[in-house]
Amino acid sequence: MSTGVTVALLGQPNSGKSTLFNALTGLRQHVGNWPGKTVEKKEGSFTHKGKEYKVADLPGSYSLSANSDEEVITRDYIASGEADVACILADSSQLQRSLFMLADYAGIDVPCFLLLNMSDVAAEQGKKINAGAIEEKLGIPVIPFSATDKKSYDVFYEALGTVIKNKGMLNVEKLNTQYESIIGYREIYELIPENVIPGYSAMWIAVKALENDKVVMAKLRAALDDQTYSRIEDAKKNAQGAVATGGCKFAWIDDILEKAVDAGDKKISLSFLDKIYTSRIWGKPAVILTVLLGLIASFIPAIPLMIVGSLILAVKAPVMGVLSSIGCPEILTLIIGDVVIQSFSYIFKMLGFVFGVTLVFGLLEEVGVMARISYVFDNTMGKLGLQGKSVMPFLVSFGCTMGGAAGARVIDNWGQKVLTIALAWAVPCGAAWATVPMLSTIFFGPGAVLVIVAVLLTMLLHMWITAKIFGAKLVKKEDRYGMIMELPPYHKPKWGALFRYVFGRTKETFIRVTKVIMLVCGVFWLLSYSPSGENGGILYTIGVAIDPVTRLFGMPWQLFLSYVASAVGKEGAIGVISALYNGGSYSAGFMDAMNGAATAGNLNELLLANVSKPEALAFIFAITFNMPCVVALAATYQETHSAKWTSIIVLYYTVVSLVLAFLAYHIGLLIW
Amino acid sequence: MCLSELKESRSAVVTNVEGDSRFISRITSIGLTPGCRVKVMKNDKNRPMLVYSRDTMIALNKKECQGVMVEEVTA
Repeated sequence: MSTGVTVALLGQPNSGKSTLFNALTGLRQHVGNWPGKTVEKKEGSFTHKGKEYKVADLPGSYSLSANSDEEVITRDYIASGEADVACILADSSQLQRSLFMLADYAGIDVPCFLLLNMSDVAAEQGKKINAGAIEEKLGIPVIPFSATDKKSYDVFYEALGTVIKNKGMLNVEKLNTQYESIIGYREIYELIPENVIPGYSAMWIAVKALENDKVVMAKLRAALDDQTYSRIEDAKKNAQGAVATGGCKFAWIDDILEKAVDAGDKKISLSFLDKIYTSRIWGKPAVILTVLLGLIASFIPAIPLMIVGSLILAVKAPVMGVLSSIGCPEILTLIIGDVVIQSFSYIFKMLGFVFGVTLVFGLLEEVGVMARISYVFDNTMGKLGLQGKSVMPFLVSFGCTMGGAAGARVIDNWGQKVLTIALAWAVPCGAAWATVPMLSTIFFGPGAVLVIVAVLLTMLLHMWITAKIFGAKLVKKEDRYGMIMELPPYHKPKWGALFRYVFGRTKETFIRVTKVIMLVCGVFWLLSYSPSGENGGILYTIGVAIDPVTRLFGMPWQLFLSYVASAVGKEGAIGVISALYNGGSYSAGFMDAMNGAATAGNLNELLLANVSKPEALAFIFAITFNMPCVVALAATYQETHSAKWTSIIVLYYTVVSLVLAFLAYHIGLLIW
Repeated sequence: MCLSELKESRSAVVTNVEGDSRFISRITSIGLTPGCRVKVMKNDKNRPMLVYSRDTMIALNKKECQGVMVEEVTA
């Protein structure tokens, strides 16, 4: 462990906290979960002038109340002394409101400094902010900051150094005077002994008591004798509570900003873009168009990595040829070719997409468009227990589930993020759209349209039910409130920080998904491996053996093996069927189809001769709602960083797809 | 009257906020406290409201507006 200084970043959503974190730490960051909590923990480090610093990017929240795990974790982390310095961010362009975090922080006994971020945006709006005047009143360094400006960082490091040296605390005297005006405040304040909850001042505790903060009240009950505690309770009953303390905080902020800010005389109006996004008629189409354009745009930065993926695949056959010619054992050749090289080809194609999606949707977030997306779809998504932003991963998933999962990272609440990904799996992806209409047309002719409509309706029902089942655990009732959010001003992206972040993210994805994809591909290969080269192996034997069971779900063993293969890659499913009905090797058929080989010319006749209509219907539903593919699985693991939830989702989708197949088959039997 | 009754481009001063402690905490942290001025930027039927207050464009669900009491001011 290094003995360096730990800096905690604290700020409201959209304060530019993540941008700063990415700019400071670059590739040196780690994302995990807080122990036992469904809240994301982001840590990183940087070196400045030979000194090592640790940075904790605390969960974004609007205040430090006890209303969410995020807020309690944030304040307890700082007060615990784990952080040596708190860097509090405010948005210069919305200074009055965004200083609320500072006001709520006041009273936590950790040295801090204030960063007036987005000073460039404020300047554009014609606002003039006198940081020196604010600094004088607060007694801590106050620095105008803009993440794009290199000089800003010098000032940042300088202020950080000053705070570490002087251990400067926020001057809260005037805030205390404000609180004195609240009836009952003084009484509670005097009942609270020094250091009763370590890290928090009596002022802070008294204010939280007035706000009826459950965590603070429980701690007071445990620490104080009954008489003192009940006196606090009594005093609290007669006091005005959170509305009054909130008023005091803003009165303090107003006092600080008085004479320090010249707001200019810019007229407030909605920009042209916002008029469209907030329009009753055009809002939703505009958002969908934005996301779709984003999806298309994300293919451009993805191309180089996708080419790498194809190149890796291109060397597969020559490498395998060389290996067998030098007398390498066949099994080793197959493992190197079909597992290792094949996996790396998937991985690089996937990384291309992750790179593109993270970049484009990270950009939309940076410039402020994501907040508009959230606004437009908040009501609709709220019904599923999600944020408006969740619409974005859903739309992306029509193209590729892995992209949807990677895009879900813009959702700042972990539970909602996992739920979004779980629901995104139900959206049929591009590979499903390539397979389902084709199969439907072969079997049902013009009736294919009905099948596709049925698939879409099933998708909606599936998402709704899944939201109910998973939502109960993942999204707490208290996190489901109506929209109260700010629409931040649009601003220019910070390209450097954005790219550093995207590269870091892609690198981390690479490390984590390699394991998952190798493992799944390896297991699938092992199960389908047959020493004779003929059809055989564990999967085949089991498939044939349980044929009577799988037939209940409308899938004879050939279709069942294809269904299993579709969990690894949907594109491969058709290759498996055509190989099996042609008497070829299904594992070879799968590999060829995954690598984009054309389907057999006689596929139509093969299918019609061997598969009945109800079976076809069952199969269509089974592969559409099965686990999307191994890369989607890997991306889900990467974004949720929970092996537990990833497994739950996989198991759930397997069961549901079989249930749907069962239903489709038996409904089919009634019709035909 | 409550915030959602206010017509587009009108201004008002918040007189009170009412609701459970979670709502109070959220609405306070976004800056809507008694005494603060708000300007209605957009108020369409069945759509969230857009108001401007404390340097900030705020989007609020109609249901959430019920808890924000205001008094209209002219100019």
